[in-house]
Amino acid sequence: MIEETDISDEKLLNAYKNLIMERVMDKKMLNASRQGFLPFYIPLMGHEAMHIGLGLALRKQDFIYPYYRDFGVLLQMGIPIDTIMSQVFATANDNALGRAMPDHFSLKKYNIGAVITTVAGHLMSATGIAYARKYREIDGGVLTTFGDGATSTPDFHVAMNFAGVYNLPLVFFCENNGFAISVPTYPNESGQTDAYEETKGMIYKKAEAYGFSGIRVDGTNFIEVYKNTRKALENSNNTPILIEAMSYRMGPHSTADDPNKYRKNDVTEGSEKDPVIVSQRLLKEMNILDDNKIKEIEDETEDSSSKLINKYEKAAKPDKNTILDNLYEEEPWYITEERGDLQ
Amino acid sequence: MVYYRRKGRFAVTSMTMVKALNSALDNAMERDDSIILLGEDVGVDGGVFRVTDNLIKKYGSARVMDTPLSELGIVGFGIGMSMAGLRAIPEIQFQDFIYTAMDQIISQMAKLRYRTNGDYTLPMVLRTPYAGGVHGGPYHSQSGEEYFATTQGLTVVTPSNPYDAKGLLLSSLNLNDPVIFLEPKRLYYAGKMDVPDDYYTVDLRKAKLLNEGDDISIITYGPAVPLVMNTVKKNNINADVIDLRTINPFDIDAILKSVQKTTRVLIVTESPKMFGVSAEISATLAEKAIDYLSAPILRVAGLDIPIPFALEDYYVPNEKRIMNAVNKIMQYR
Repeated sequence: MIEETDISDEKLLNAYKNLIMERVMDKKMLNASRQGFLPFYIPLMGHEAMHIGLGLALRKQDFIYPYYRDFGVLLQMGIPIDTIMSQVFATANDNALGRAMPDHFSLKKYNIGAVITTVAGHLMSATGIAYARKYREIDGGVLTTFGDGATSTPDFHVAMNFAGVYNLPLVFFCENNGFAISVPTYPNESGQTDAYEETKGMIYKKAEAYGFSGIRVDGTNFIEVYKNTRKALENSNNTPILIEAMSYRMGPHSTADDPNKYRKNDVTEGSEKDPVIVSQRLLKEMNILDDNKIKEIEDETEDSSSKLINKYEKAAKPDKNTILDNLYEEEPWYITEERGDLQ
Repeated sequence: MVYYRRKGRFAVTSMTMVKALNSALDNAMERDDSIILLGEDVGVDGGVFRVTDNLIKKYGSARVMDTPLSELGIVGFGIGMSMAGLRAIPEIQFQDFIYTAMDQIISQMAKLRYRTNGDYTLPMVLRTPYAGGVHGGPYHSQSGEEYFATTQGLTVVTPSNPYDAKGLLLSSLNLNDPVIFLEPKRLYYAGKMDVPDDYYTVDLRKAKLLNEGDDISIITYGPAVPLVMNTVKKNNINADVIDLRTINPFDIDAILKSVQKTTRVLIVTESPKMFGVSAEISATLAEKAIDYLSAPILRVAGLDIPIPFALEDYYVPNEKRIMNAVNKIMQYR
């Protein structure tokens, strides 16, 4: 199937490069965490096509409130790599001084919300941001991402309700990877879920109860994600929307769990549903990519990502004297006293 | 108290605390169109205690929002608005109902500035009536100030009279950080006071010395203040009475100055004693002022139980309990 798209070949090729960059970086960062350079890491494998599609869909005037598994969205948005890597490796250059875990970006100047760890804890914030932008008549939409686990929380349902009640310019984007850590979205009798069966559940249908529409897209196809998300953002002045992107988390949830304990590994690297393989197939059909080019990009990425990792593994950590900064605008007397404890 | 002259007359009105808070919100909204009120029944109904009465008529439903019934939603919605440059004032109808929003308050509201190193700040004031006075039982009478005071990043303010209520609320709206503004519902209609119609502020970093005396320092705030003042006056206690106004961060200088003079300390709160605000003040005095003290620090506080419906009056501090403590402290040699 040849995809029709309004994106130039050059841009599609660049998107593919970013997708490969995310895949390669993910492996290297996972290694870095195993070697002790990162105390914790959230793997991305299986999410790449959703991330690249989202990054392509977002326009300058849009606002994104991501969750903690959206590294590639920022890559594709064109956020400076130093900004991204300084955050992930919690270096002195990080704008938040390394206070948050990896992939917890906060970049107000790029219209990116402050990623929070509590699952769905940001969904009402995104809803309020959408209201503020509507109140101030700011052009563009608000998009927020979350996993399938988030759809079980009160925050998700309250945010969907508020978005419907106030008809907010908000795109809810569910990166459904089949698992909330070890628990399948909709377990079958054997406790397993097949990521690509309808029986997995119907998260997108929940939107109807809140007065707007929900759609399901193939989260392994970055062009489909791009098209549907861009359309949703363009139409967000009229109505909120819920997009459920179907994918599969190919790695563990974090560096703290072993997926072999809770599932059969049916989507592995290089298999038919791997977003990298899907992307290669799409771009080959469009005559944008061939085997030589694939190899060339792989080699380039391997080289550039190794250099990046080496650089940030060694980067200086924030100065200890910053630890008490910026709790309040005006420092309370007891914080000033505690500065003495650092000496 | 500062009075403002307008057209040849003092522009002050005798107001209850409810009216003073309403006047503060009106002044603030008139000056700044980024201020949005939101909560259950705050619009058409004017709030169950009438603090937001008539504001929807003047400012419209885009700025005075009757929200769906969800405390999580109300607080979270306000957080998002304030992240995007507005200044939200969410109201939680009773502090007792706030707990479904505690994740929003603790995880997002309180930590946002610190964890982003100021990339995002959160100028917002969360208002809520609290403590006893209306015989509301376990779910309309709680004193939950400790939940907020022990959360790093929040400023916790509580007024004790109409003048302070207006001035402290307007000061809170000048901070670029989240404020938990606790309104003692027993004082909402407890009496009137001359309050300027126009805009003014009260410094929320400064405690107020309500009575001057040499024998003992009585430290209190919010709902317990009138009880303490009445007890002091009726029994001719020669006491410094300190109204904290702000619980966190409290005005350590005002407390130390008084304690160095009197050398004896009583702390009175309506919230329960164990692990309470009174414990923090006591510990701080033990660290900083033990050399000055002539007697143990005593506390008169709410009983360490949920607040009961029929027997609320026995739960809260009263004149007798305060006098017993004062006498015990004064007899100590």
